[in-house]
Amino acid sequence: MSATGIGGRVSQFGSAVAEGWTRERFGLIGAVALVLITFGPPFQVYLFTDFLVVALFALGFNLLYGYTGLLSFGHGLFYAGGAYGIAIVLRDLGPIIADIVGAGISPLVTFVVGGVVGLVLVVVVAVPVGWLSVRLEEIYFALITLAFGMLGYSLIIQDPAGLTNGTDGVIVLLGTVDLGGTSIRIGGRRLYYVISAVTVVAATYGVWRVVNSPFGTVCKAIRESPDRAGALGINVRHHRWMTFIISAAIVGIAGVLRAGLASVASPGLTHWSTSAIAVIATVIGGATYFYGPIVGAFIFLYIRWAISRFPTLEAYWELFFGVLLIAVVLFFKQGAVGGLYLLRDRLFGEGDIGGANGGGGGAFDAGSQVTTPPDEEAKSSNGDVRTDRGDNS
Amino acid sequence: MTTVLKAEDLRKQFGELTAVDNVSIEIDDGNITSIIGPNGAGKTTFYNLLTGVLQPTTGSIWLRSGVEDDLADVTDAEPHQVAQAGLSRSYQITNIFEGLTVRENVRVARISHEGTRLDFRSRATGDESVEADVEELLDLTGLTHIADTPCDTLSHGEKRTVEIALALAIEPNVFLMDEPTAGMNPTEVAEIVSLIRELDADLDTTFVVTEHNMDVVTDISDRIVVLAEGAILADGTPEDVLTDERVTEAYLGSDSA
Repeated sequence: MSATGIGGRVSQFGSAVAEGWTRERFGLIGAVALVLITFGPPFQVYLFTDFLVVALFALGFNLLYGYTGLLSFGHGLFYAGGAYGIAIVLRDLGPIIADIVGAGISPLVTFVVGGVVGLVLVVVVAVPVGWLSVRLEEIYFALITLAFGMLGYSLIIQDPAGLTNGTDGVIVLLGTVDLGGTSIRIGGRRLYYVISAVTVVAATYGVWRVVNSPFGTVCKAIRESPDRAGALGINVRHHRWMTFIISAAIVGIAGVLRAGLASVASPGLTHWSTSAIAVIATVIGGATYFYGPIVGAFIFLYIRWAISRFPTLEAYWELFFGVLLIAVVLFFKQGAVGGLYLLRDRLFGEGDIGGANGGGGGAFDAGSQVTTPPDEEAKSSNGDVRTDRGDNS
Repeated sequence: MTTVLKAEDLRKQFGELTAVDNVSIEIDDGNITSIIGPNGAGKTTFYNLLTGVLQPTTGSIWLRSGVEDDLADVTDAEPHQVAQAGLSRSYQITNIFEGLTVRENVRVARISHEGTRLDFRSRATGDESVEADVEELLDLTGLTHIADTPCDTLSHGEKRTVEIALALAIEPNVFLMDEPTAGMNPTEVAEIVSLIRELDADLDTTFVVTEHNMDVVTDISDRIVVLAEGAILADGTPEDVLTDERVTEAYLGSDSA
């Protein structure tokens, strides 16, 4: 940002786009695609917004799973937290905010306040839930988070405080901004898509920065070996707790967007079957890649949509996912993104394995692969893999 | 000479079994101490007590903190606190961040040492002082040529070296090495021995080594402590200890003594 200036950065970006299949070119194509989708058929705009929200949900989840090695089965709790936060603000504080800022602009202000409240609510819940959960590891961690998620489900349905409206949930009415003549409906599909796309892209960039920061580097180390990280002076439990909170906050943002998209905050959001969507999307896409959850969410939603076009099959759509999931787990341990890298290596030769290996040379900076795909195992860069890995245990 | 690590009446009981039996030991800086003993003598349990992985049944552990001579009590400290207090270790079974590259491994240790673990705004690769230290360490341990190789594709000997680089990256006062030559071929053993000698000469770190390979032990040690059935059997210079009849007996059994 210092010496080059904006003009320099633009021309730098331009040459990076022209150079080949660089990250910049993918970024530019993605940005153009995001803009073009705004003008698509309304249902497709809706479906794509749905995909973006689920992608952010899975991406937040994967910060804890793929990057830190903790499988949460209760992230629906934070998805619901964001959704209920904004829903309750819209329902209860809407009139108050309208009194303060005036009726014209009040839906927009209420929406923003609701989003912030939803996010704060999620963090407030994640701090104690995370503190307790990170005391456990592996399957026990999965079980306690599952329990917290279902505890949230029960509380929302029982509704002891009279806030959540039980099984019916809270209706979300985003309202219409009236600027003296022009009125804009926030909940309109195209506008809501734009709001969601901007939020999701910004949040994704935030997560990307986190995983590439010293904090994220330590997360990966903890995933690889918590004992080793501890023996190097890293407070593993504390680090997992912080990751839990950040992960929950990202999921909370997705929850806020979900409420507006579905026009309701419903108890099902914190049911384990919703938490499982993040798990399934991540596993299908590839937990060890930054973009894995996004690709997985895309596959999940578009296959579901494709199946729904055949009414006879629709009743069994979960069956298709069962089969798909089994296929991925058995044959593509690295998920769809891992499969794509494998395909690329097959098609374009072996010279480019650096990208898939997370060395930072590829178009997507995967950066976080747990295990090397089998056909790469033999190609150690020093060509000196010994087989006698004796273990004196 | 200053005492850098002290254990007093250290005892660890697993049910009926006494794994470590009233061990008192003072480790001085400036020499390499080897802890030897037959399998099951309690060496690894002793290490796990010192590093906070296990809590002793009775006894206390003291560690020189920073540059002062006074010792700090780390008996009840957790592993990461012990490491922060200046005690580093390697494991008998190599324990490194397999999915990361060699450079990333060392970077993690430097991030921990610099205290920038919670920095999620800057780039991991952006801190030039950290990167310079990482390069220096890679150079010191001879890993520069494989710096960007993922660790899961390295040879056994290279992985063991990465672990040494990791342990040293936090600039410890004391480095406990648990069988550094385990599973290595003769060439690798020779390399690791010369590396340990070099590092001992170059750094302020005090090395404590457990080892089964007696050639290595006699080669590098200034002092040998023999553990048998959890207790100290002999303690002294290599010449004294290795000619001690009780030591031969413990290793070969009383019949052949």
